[in-house]
Amino acid sequence: MTDDTTANPADDELLDALYDSVLSGDADSAIDSTRAGLAAGLQPLSLLFDAMIPSLEEVGNLFESGEIFLPEMLISARAMQACMNILRPLLADAASSRIGVFVMGTIAGDIHDIGKNLCDVMLEGAGFEVIDLGINVPADRFVEAITEHQPDAVGLSAFLTTTMAELATTIDAIDAAGVRGDTKIIVGGAPVTQEYADQIGADGYAPTAVSAVRTVKELLGMGQS
Amino acid sequence: MDSTISSRERVLMALDHQEPDRVPIMLGVSNATGIKMTPYKALKASLGIEAPDNYLYDWPELGTAAIDEATMRRLHSDVRGVLDLEPADTLARNRNRPPHSDYIDSWGSGASEIKPGQWFPMVHPLATATTIEEIDAHPWPDMDDPTRVSHVADQARALAEDNRFAIVATPWLLFPLERAFAMQGMDTFLMNMALYPEFAETLLWKLQDVCKQLMANFLAELGPNVDIIKIGDDLGTQQSLLMSPDMYRQVLKPIHADWIEFIKARTDAKLMFHTDGDVFPLIDDFVDMGIDILNPIQTSAGKMADLRALRDRYGSKIVFCGAIDTQRILPHGTPTEVRAEVRRVIDILGPGGGYMLASVHTVMDDVPAENILAMVDAVVEHRH
Repeated sequence: MTDDTTANPADDELLDALYDSVLSGDADSAIDSTRAGLAAGLQPLSLLFDAMIPSLEEVGNLFESGEIFLPEMLISARAMQACMNILRPLLADAASSRIGVFVMGTIAGDIHDIGKNLCDVMLEGAGFEVIDLGINVPADRFVEAITEHQPDAVGLSAFLTTTMAELATTIDAIDAAGVRGDTKIIVGGAPVTQEYADQIGADGYAPTAVSAVRTVKELLGMGQS
Repeated sequence: MDSTISSRERVLMALDHQEPDRVPIMLGVSNATGIKMTPYKALKASLGIEAPDNYLYDWPELGTAAIDEATMRRLHSDVRGVLDLEPADTLARNRNRPPHSDYIDSWGSGASEIKPGQWFPMVHPLATATTIEEIDAHPWPDMDDPTRVSHVADQARALAEDNRFAIVATPWLLFPLERAFAMQGMDTFLMNMALYPEFAETLLWKLQDVCKQLMANFLAELGPNVDIIKIGDDLGTQQSLLMSPDMYRQVLKPIHADWIEFIKARTDAKLMFHTDGDVFPLIDDFVDMGIDILNPIQTSAGKMADLRALRDRYGSKIVFCGAIDTQRILPHGTPTEVRAEVRRVIDILGPGGGYMLASVHTVMDDVPAENILAMVDAVVEHRH
């Protein structure tokens, strides 16, 4: 459960309720708890770091250990997103709520987005500002986004062996445009392997949305909280 | 010719867990064991075979080739397929629609073209539905349209009279879970299974009812002229199962069991179940429901890599069909590596029968023709 970071037992109850709602994927009650927390004077950062992020981390742990599966993980991610839609405007000024900027997209020729969307939520839950370019994203769109947002890391997703080659094309285009700099490039998706990631010059490889957070933090020297 | 026994005898022996002269090859007959148009064209060019670029199900957007007989012979394929068609008005509407516009099937689901020739299932008519009223209100397809099955009896009878090849028959995607994904989108339906279980279950049973109408008509036309009926539902992912074993057993297994019982009451054909990904934890359930053949044995996914464990635990209870990797070996391996992999798989799964070789799912656009030929030639070279 959540840490005892608040002095007020009523606040702890609200945080616990929010934690439980995200964990069980109950978006309506997660929204209610978020609003109730804000109304009670809890800081947006506290709702994020003392309830939602630990809850999403637990979702990730349960998924990795095979105790929950895609349906349960998807509804938790949906509940988290619903709360973030409320908190995001309130967090905009709090620079400390953002540990980095992440650009994400499914590469050109591919429309698969379940893994990508889960990565978005897990990374946002971990404190990143996530800029999602969507599906079927051409290489030059990634180049533009890197130039515009100067992200700490970029995630490229591909689901098919036939579209996987576009990962290499996209990385080559980023290199050729001279915009890579210190930006780390992470690749993932069903057919992708560490070996393939190394071969095409990616900085990291993440087989799942949960591992994406770990990999990105390691690459950025953040360690795992 | 390959040998003194026919392809059909070879398949029937393997299905009966007897070891034929060589492992049978299942290639070119359905979208799960087919070849996409790009590698099919490359195959024809390398073999000097001239044949039209026809598509399975008369459906270009699916992209899977209807393989001509000369190529099927060269591929040593031991099976021939009998499929259904969409209703005449659906076929005509799609043939005459504006170029590059969405392909919409008779269910109301469809595909969009994201770049020339690349179609993905992105049209989901029940994407926002969460109530049983919305299921009832959907215009469900007419499964009694004669165009769907009017060719089936003649095709199957001709194959049976010819008696050389095993007959594999499968109407397009009569798979309840995958139909639900087509109607709602995969992520939406998976969430609805968790959020609105009654709705999700009702939709699955409704889809199965519609599927049953077509399957009954299809099986009646086939009569006794069929050896294998293919059905399925993708239940695995690259790392594990799509849903928990509990959710599978509570919601979907009764539907699959009912479906299999319905089919087995109408045909003596063996039942092949196609399910991608790592489905190792569900194989006991498949055996329990009376599935005869498991396809495609995705060796690149989780525990499905352990072919010895599969053989030792389930080899006497179920026939394996597939197991030649399409994520690495076939697209990226050399012909020598493909041959070595075919020998490795046959040495584990082949002894005692009970194995049919196939690529893990359809041979995709990234597979070189020489690797397809290496795969099938290695089977013929590796006779027992």
